[in-house]
Amino acid sequence: MISRILPLILASVLLLIPCLGSATDNTHVLRNPDELKYEYLHFTPPSAERIVLENGIVLYFFRDDELPLLNVSVVLKAGSMFDPERKEGLAELTATVMRTGGTKKMSGDIVDDVLEFIAGTLTASVNKEYASFGLSILTHHTDHALDILSQIIMNPAFEEHKLTRARDLKIEELRRIADDPMRFAFKEFNRLIYNDNPRGRSPLISTVRGITRDDLLQFHKKFFHPGNMMIAVSGNITKEQVLITFRKYFGTWNVPRADRNIPPPLPVMPAGGIYFLKKDIPQSIIISGQLAPSKKNPDSFSFEVLDFIVGSGGFRSRIFNEIRDKMGLAYSTGSFYRARGDYGVFGTYAMTRAESTATVLARISGVLNDIRSKSVEKNEIEWAKKSIINNFIFSFVSAEHIARQQLMIEHEKLPEHYLINYRDSISSVTAKKIEGVASRYVLPVEKSVVLIMGNSDAYQQAVSSFGNVQVIEGKL
Amino acid sequence: MPEKRSFFIITLGIIILGIASSGFGYDLEKRVQSYTLKNGLKILMVERHLSPTVSFYIRHRVGAVDESDGKTGAAHLLEHMMFKGTKTIGAKNYRKEQRILDRIFKTGNEIDLITRKATDADRKRLEFLKNRLETLQKEHKTLFIENEIDRLYTENGADDSNASTGQDLTTYNVSLPSNKIELWARIESDRMVNPVFRDFYTERSVVMEERKQRIDSDPEGQLFERFFAAAFMCHPYRRPIIGWAYDIRYLDPQYLLTLFKRYHAPNNTVIAIVGDIDHASTLKIVQKYFGHIPPQDTGMPFVTEEPSQKGERRIQIESDANPHVLIGYHKPAMPSFDDYVFDVIDSILSRGRTSRLYKTLVEEKGIAESINTINGMPGSRYPNLFVISAKPRHPHTDAELESAIYEELEKIKTSRVLERELEKTKNQLKADFIRNLDSNRGLANMLSYFEILTGDYRYITNHVNVIERVSSDDIMRVATRYLTRDNRTVANLMKKK
Repeated sequence: MISRILPLILASVLLLIPCLGSATDNTHVLRNPDELKYEYLHFTPPSAERIVLENGIVLYFFRDDELPLLNVSVVLKAGSMFDPERKEGLAELTATVMRTGGTKKMSGDIVDDVLEFIAGTLTASVNKEYASFGLSILTHHTDHALDILSQIIMNPAFEEHKLTRARDLKIEELRRIADDPMRFAFKEFNRLIYNDNPRGRSPLISTVRGITRDDLLQFHKKFFHPGNMMIAVSGNITKEQVLITFRKYFGTWNVPRADRNIPPPLPVMPAGGIYFLKKDIPQSIIISGQLAPSKKNPDSFSFEVLDFIVGSGGFRSRIFNEIRDKMGLAYSTGSFYRARGDYGVFGTYAMTRAESTATVLARISGVLNDIRSKSVEKNEIEWAKKSIINNFIFSFVSAEHIARQQLMIEHEKLPEHYLINYRDSISSVTAKKIEGVASRYVLPVEKSVVLIMGNSDAYQQAVSSFGNVQVIEGKL
Repeated sequence: MPEKRSFFIITLGIIILGIASSGFGYDLEKRVQSYTLKNGLKILMVERHLSPTVSFYIRHRVGAVDESDGKTGAAHLLEHMMFKGTKTIGAKNYRKEQRILDRIFKTGNEIDLITRKATDADRKRLEFLKNRLETLQKEHKTLFIENEIDRLYTENGADDSNASTGQDLTTYNVSLPSNKIELWARIESDRMVNPVFRDFYTERSVVMEERKQRIDSDPEGQLFERFFAAAFMCHPYRRPIIGWAYDIRYLDPQYLLTLFKRYHAPNNTVIAIVGDIDHASTLKIVQKYFGHIPPQDTGMPFVTEEPSQKGERRIQIESDANPHVLIGYHKPAMPSFDDYVFDVIDSILSRGRTSRLYKTLVEEKGIAESINTINGMPGSRYPNLFVISAKPRHPHTDAELESAIYEELEKIKTSRVLERELEKTKNQLKADFIRNLDSNRGLANMLSYFEILTGDYRYITNHVNVIERVSSDDIMRVATRYLTRDNRTVANLMKKK
């Protein structure tokens, strides 16, 4: 062990009060934290390099040599909103069985064996908009792992027995969904908020049961081609290596561009109302929601500030402050604003004991009415803007974040300089703009979609306070 | 003895055992700067500059295990109260506030006492007290500003500002832009000495809601809670971290303060700072803000040792949910060699699609919907459990699944694990270590966790070397010794009829 005195620090130490057995009151020496001075932090968002392979695949690349790791993320417009009617669950099963069901060169079992032996991880996941495959490996296995990844993407075998297993597991997952009240509630909320839009579709036991290997092959053929795909690459690799490796494994893929997939129509605003889903739990789950500006809409910046103030800005945001802090009626509560390239959803949530269901919903309604009808004070806006702007650098904390973030900008067809201009856009939000978006977009609770999940006591309250309550059955 | 006179004990990268990990081209010990202030506060720092941000982890060696019986949930409620500000953060006039707080607590205590007795005799007095409490609380509100700690962090760009309480530890973590290090030191050092328990009774209700959410409305939460209560008869690991509902309801500020004073002390604390920092100047800030905090006598926490189990224990929980089974085996805590062997067993049994339990029960037999194993529950400071958690796939039953699990456990007791399987597992554990280094937050989390728990963060840098020594004989020996019927507790979640 090397021990030595740090002369620099010792000097300042001598001025300090020696340690005593009892608590020392140092309050008189502490400066007001608001008066602390900080050095200016210059930050230019780091930029991933955009590379286009000869067959049209777009790659975003960011190098970081600190650790011998490589992360690859393949994103395709093949999300669950492209599930054909009565085949809900197809996008997800396709991605899952691509991962597990082998390729034309290797069986599924061998793929698993090889990947796990080299301690690589390869995940397949699907959300409403896109399918995504994430590979993480130690760099000295790059060639081997990318060979497998490319086969999985381009030439999956969809082994029948792996499909059977994946289907069985999905059915069991759906059978069990009501065991997790929160998950169940959000699933049902999504169905209500997206209404008849394809985004509102979700797998049911009956639709999953009807999915065949042929359906998977068709779905793969339609959505998996170079023009529909982007890749983010980050880690311990040079640009030359990226070019060589990705050309080698993905560059020869030249399937004729299948049907141009037409994006589903934008969601239509569903009819508002209170929906009740019965579940015998001591706490009610209350979710309200409505459509909101898309990311492409310039109003989205003002709306983001509005949402921060209403309920996503932590302890100081209004819903949290009212329902948790002042009333002590919930542990989890707040608002959310999920904006995508083409649309957005804004909503609120709270989990509260059954007996305060009506009180909490009334308070949420009050907060929403306030934001619609009263102007927001300058301090509150400045606090929200400052918070969002100062937090911006956390979108760039790792090479993986940086590459993936930029990929998503292009994927959602946002302006090229979206990130560069982001802070200025937030900065330019004013009280007037917030008033504008509040009156244009925010609906009173009774016109939004409200889902309450809870016991019969919660139901009685909902009925006596709001009158018209529609009881729904959760779909499995 | 220069060490005694110096203010810091400085440990600058001593590499004794870092050889195997250097094969990955990254030697963590060379990068970690470790200091101990004179008051016993331990600081670990790593400089890295990819992003102009810093992650901070403060860990106190105090958790639910350190509570007295009847006071379960106190460590967790204390963690909530630490966000209510300090004598200088959020206070408008602390002296005045202190007087009113005393009256609030006195009134609250009396209310709790009467409510606890639950007789009608005191109803009038209770009404009177409740009104008084409300009036006092209203008056108190005018004397402070709410949520100043959160406001300061949020508007300065904090990411992931949070805290957590476990059986073993309490953690306060936050990430900030790298020019805001002093803000963190100002807030955290202050709340380590001068927290003010504002809105105590409201927060106690919030925690009761938290319990409703995490346990009472969640079948899985109930299953785990009762499972630990059955597996431990005497050791405090039998109690839920969040506390039993009855205890939470009557937790009092005085007990929280005792817990705070004793354990949120610098000599019971480790801080990890990772990111875009300069060691020397960061250390200077830490010294300036934390250096004066006096150490405390944390005492020797004598905790009842769990006697050996002597026979299988089984419990059933009825709930509105599908079957789920938990099986737990008592085993030693780290840094026992057998705990390392369990890390390997954990991987062999349930990590990835080629692991034994997944492959056999989910893929081949198709009787499980999911299966997981976890080494080290519900804590790691004391001897704990190796837990298997499994859900049957309809129409297969949990009994069927349970016996299939035991069959697999018998196999690792009676036949050697293949070399390739062992090598795969070791490769995975090595890769895990590297992946954990990939973010400032992950690294600060890991360093502070192992430092406070084992007394030396090098437990984790050395982990792969010890794992490397685990042989197939070790696995058979450990499995035979611990994975026995006598030593297990089984909890079944059953559908309420």
